[in-house]
Amino acid sequence: MNLLTNPALLITILVGLGILAWLVVHYRDKSRWRKVSPWSYLVLCFMIVVSAFPFYWMYIVASNGNEEISKNPPTLVPGPRFMTLIGHVFEAAPTFGLSIWNTVVVGTLISVAQVVFSALAGFAFAKLNFRGRKFLVLFVIGTMMLPSQLGIIPLFMIVNNLGWGSTLSAIVVPALVTAFGVFWMRQIIDAQVPNELLEAASIDGAGVIRVFRSVVMPIIAQSSFVLGLFAFLGTWNDFLWPLLVLNDPNQFTVQVAVNQLSASYTVDYALMLGGAFLATAPLLLLFVLVGRQLVSGVMDGAVKG
Amino acid sequence: MKKLSARIAGIAIAFALPLSLVAPASAAPAAVTLTVWTYGNVIEPQAITDYKKLHPEITIQLKKSGLDAHHQSLITSFLANKTPDIAAIEVSYSGYFRSYPQYFTDLRQAPYNSASIEKNYLDWRWDQGVGYEGTVFGIPTDVGGMQVAYRPDLFKAHGLPSTRDAVGKLWPTWNAFIATGQKYQKNLTKAEKTSCTKKKVCYGFIDNAGTIYNAVLNQGTKKYYENDNTKDGKLVYGSNSQVKAAFQTTATALGSGIGTNINSFTNDWNVGMNKGIFATILAPAWMMDYIKQQAPKTKGKWDIASLPGGGGNLGGSQLSIPKSAVHKKEAWDFMSWYLSPEEQLSIFKQYGLFPSTSVLYNDPALKDFKDPFFNNAPVGQIYGSSVQTLKPIYEGKKQRAIDNIIGQALSRVGLKKQSAASAWTQAMNEIKSAVGPSK
Amino acid sequence: MTNSAAKPLSPWKASGPKKAKKRKANSDDGSVVQSLNGGWGYLFTAPFVIMFLIFGLAPVIYSVYIAFFQWDPLDFTHVYIGLDNFVRVVQDEQFWLAVRNTFSIWALSTFPQMVMAIALANVLRNPMLKFKTFWRTMLLVPNITSVLAVAIVFGQLFSRDFGLVNLAREYLGMSNHINFVSETIPGHIAIATMITWRWLGYNALIFLAAMLAVPNELYEAASIDGASSWRQFLYVTLPGIRNTITFVLVVGTIGGLQVFAEPLTLAGGESGGDSRQFSTLTLFLFEQAHMGNWGYAATIGIMITFIVLIISGINFVFTRRLGSGENVQ
Repeated sequence: MNLLTNPALLITILVGLGILAWLVVHYRDKSRWRKVSPWSYLVLCFMIVVSAFPFYWMYIVASNGNEEISKNPPTLVPGPRFMTLIGHVFEAAPTFGLSIWNTVVVGTLISVAQVVFSALAGFAFAKLNFRGRKFLVLFVIGTMMLPSQLGIIPLFMIVNNLGWGSTLSAIVVPALVTAFGVFWMRQIIDAQVPNELLEAASIDGAGVIRVFRSVVMPIIAQSSFVLGLFAFLGTWNDFLWPLLVLNDPNQFTVQVAVNQLSASYTVDYALMLGGAFLATAPLLLLFVLVGRQLVSGVMDGAVKG
Repeated sequence: MKKLSARIAGIAIAFALPLSLVAPASAAPAAVTLTVWTYGNVIEPQAITDYKKLHPEITIQLKKSGLDAHHQSLITSFLANKTPDIAAIEVSYSGYFRSYPQYFTDLRQAPYNSASIEKNYLDWRWDQGVGYEGTVFGIPTDVGGMQVAYRPDLFKAHGLPSTRDAVGKLWPTWNAFIATGQKYQKNLTKAEKTSCTKKKVCYGFIDNAGTIYNAVLNQGTKKYYENDNTKDGKLVYGSNSQVKAAFQTTATALGSGIGTNINSFTNDWNVGMNKGIFATILAPAWMMDYIKQQAPKTKGKWDIASLPGGGGNLGGSQLSIPKSAVHKKEAWDFMSWYLSPEEQLSIFKQYGLFPSTSVLYNDPALKDFKDPFFNNAPVGQIYGSSVQTLKPIYEGKKQRAIDNIIGQALSRVGLKKQSAASAWTQAMNEIKSAVGPSK
Repeated sequence: MTNSAAKPLSPWKASGPKKAKKRKANSDDGSVVQSLNGGWGYLFTAPFVIMFLIFGLAPVIYSVYIAFFQWDPLDFTHVYIGLDNFVRVVQDEQFWLAVRNTFSIWALSTFPQMVMAIALANVLRNPMLKFKTFWRTMLLVPNITSVLAVAIVFGQLFSRDFGLVNLAREYLGMSNHINFVSETIPGHIAIATMITWRWLGYNALIFLAAMLAVPNELYEAASIDGASSWRQFLYVTLPGIRNTITFVLVVGTIGGLQVFAEPLTLAGGESGGDSRQFSTLTLFLFEQAHMGNWGYAATIGIMITFIVLIISGINFVFTRRLGSGENVQ
């Protein structure tokens, strides 16, 4: 490792030292030093770079084309050929746009259905007393322990027998309500809806449906939204099951469509990364809008209950 | 609501009336979309364009997948009862699908009447589309054939003759081929040798000596199965000496260091073709177009010489009509057009896919065809003569799985991860585990 | 005051069921509202129960059934072979290789990640930190990408000749390029890197939430006693998030057993590469299913389930033991 003959390494080290120096100078104020060390910000900045880099790289490769990425030193800035590449993606996969649309529709259906059914069932498990409730809950939890690989092939057979093979129904129907969603809502309702409120409403003469609609739903609205978001994201990113089930390009979801791009004889990185970019960009957009809610969703769930 | 339904009824009648007057008179063909599933270049783009001109009402929706993924999705479609109209079946999967003819339309029946075109095709290629009980489930597309694509300039630079005939005489047997390779390796320039030690870019005689395995195996008479007239066939991979001999020859070649260990259809392979990292490729006819696409700047720098041991074959496919296909008649129209001798000749001239229609083999249009990319080699004649020497080999049900296992074993030998003997033993055990014991 | 650990949030990822089990016991007692008509419970849970029976339970039962058969999907009849599949899987060297591969990848992707996640959470915990929401949001970004997209990008970054990882190594003076695709440990490291990249931020947030639940009085008491921030971290923070650590470990393990898209993409095939170095348990199952051995694939699924149960069992015992010393401050 000869620093003097390795300009890239030299520059990286100098820049790093420069940042450190700036931080030290900036935080010379002792009281602030103790509170937040500059290392913290350095680490966090590094994390941001690491988190964001693959997305940036997707765009670089997609906009530069295959010849550029077989170069040493590598091209690190975006190139001009992004739109051409997008053209190639749609040429190689004429139904790519359709598959994005399919995924939006399927994702929306699933997230709405999951929220509705999970809220209903979660409410029942949390607040209603009916015979068999405890048994049912324990039973479902027991089966939640079973990994998805166990049932995936028979599920495939069942779905075929129902006539949904190779169609999007096979994606939608099995996902309309999941045990996870139900228990999530159960937790939320348990934690957020005080029994006194429900008692009071019920004493005032409200029936169960009324209570659910007027008392429970407003309280859990925010968390329901988060559940819906997670369901949508999960559907968008789901790969194994759609790969197994879907083979008609008109019925592809976006991940399967991206995978189909690897069908050419050799690995065409620019094409695949372009497809991956197109498959990821909508989520990034969504994330800009609702990222905060997702973060609270993750963190709230970590300690609630 | 009532008003709306009345309106709709009114419009419907308005349309129906003139149609009912027109319908009997004109017989304009209805617009049909044919779903066609293939892998690789089985159906070339020009064919689709040409067919559209002939039949403007037919739109072909093509789905191309990787080789294994394609056949997997076909199986899935059978299970879901939603199949494409036309599906390609590669020859290494023909052994599997011939056990399940019930999922295909029997093309012997009317209106397909495959018997009438059977004589146009090479017999052993036709056999690959026949089910274990005689159903004709597929019609042959091209025939792979195999010869050696080589770089005369690199040969010359490394002390070997460079003309087609002289090169063919260098290697009548596989051992002679290996010896030629070793001579090439000995004559590597200093720069090429240091490139290998320093930058791990190693120059060599052949792209991957592992490709010798299939070449040798397909020159024989028997592979992993014997035809016992049952659905699954009889496993003989352990007792068939041809398999072991092919493995041995390949292992020797791998051990002699004549290959660069670059796998076909990888980015490294494309780079290798462009930069002259290897001087020979065992090339079926369909690979010629591939080389042209990936290394256009090497035009004129390649030539074709004969394969050691005589003829060879790799690849090829049948087109089939699954039983649950929706548009069977239109599918057959397209298939019989695309696979006819005339169209296969046209495809050959444009893309190098060698016709399986043996009626063409004495046709001057085929015999006199020269390819400028390959130094004006008379590819029609070279490939034509070789495919006619081959004998039909019974392909069994799980042949692809066995091929994969042996391929991996050879790869490990090539990368020096394992000795040939232990790789063979491991392969035999894995095959036994995957498909069953050999008789 | 509880430090009880996280309930999983991602509905699409495996959960820590044992945790849920314990909480169930707590809320079962008297949390229901007696004045509401419980009969509605049947209607409200009906959609879920019906779907669950058809798409959750039935497949599992069916799976156990077909494990006793030689089941080629295209065949119309199937041969009953009793316990043959189970005998085969226990003796199958490829299965055990898949187990080893899966656990190798799991180890490489779980432990370094946990350490980093805890460290990261500790940094984020500081109440004086500026732009808190920004950092937290950015950390979650890797988690929203699909495993396929990640596998494609990192596959290119790790490629032998022109991947950035090897080029960076070249700049640092190491000119021999590692082949991350054809060698075992480098390949596992590549996959572990993908998994870590994906989950580090998410797990950091979980740890952060757990850390924030540790009451401030403990820290004040410790600093009054003169403990340095490092000692405070060791003796206040870490014990406080102990349950979360176990939970993240279990969830990560169960997720690790499902690793599929990354090895499939890197290896380019279902067998997991020449030496099957990328053959993980789920990929192996997928490969067997595609080879037409559905009975055997079901058997593999059952074996995976056993492994999950064993791990959950260990976690249960572990947490029980820890639980006894949990709230000792």
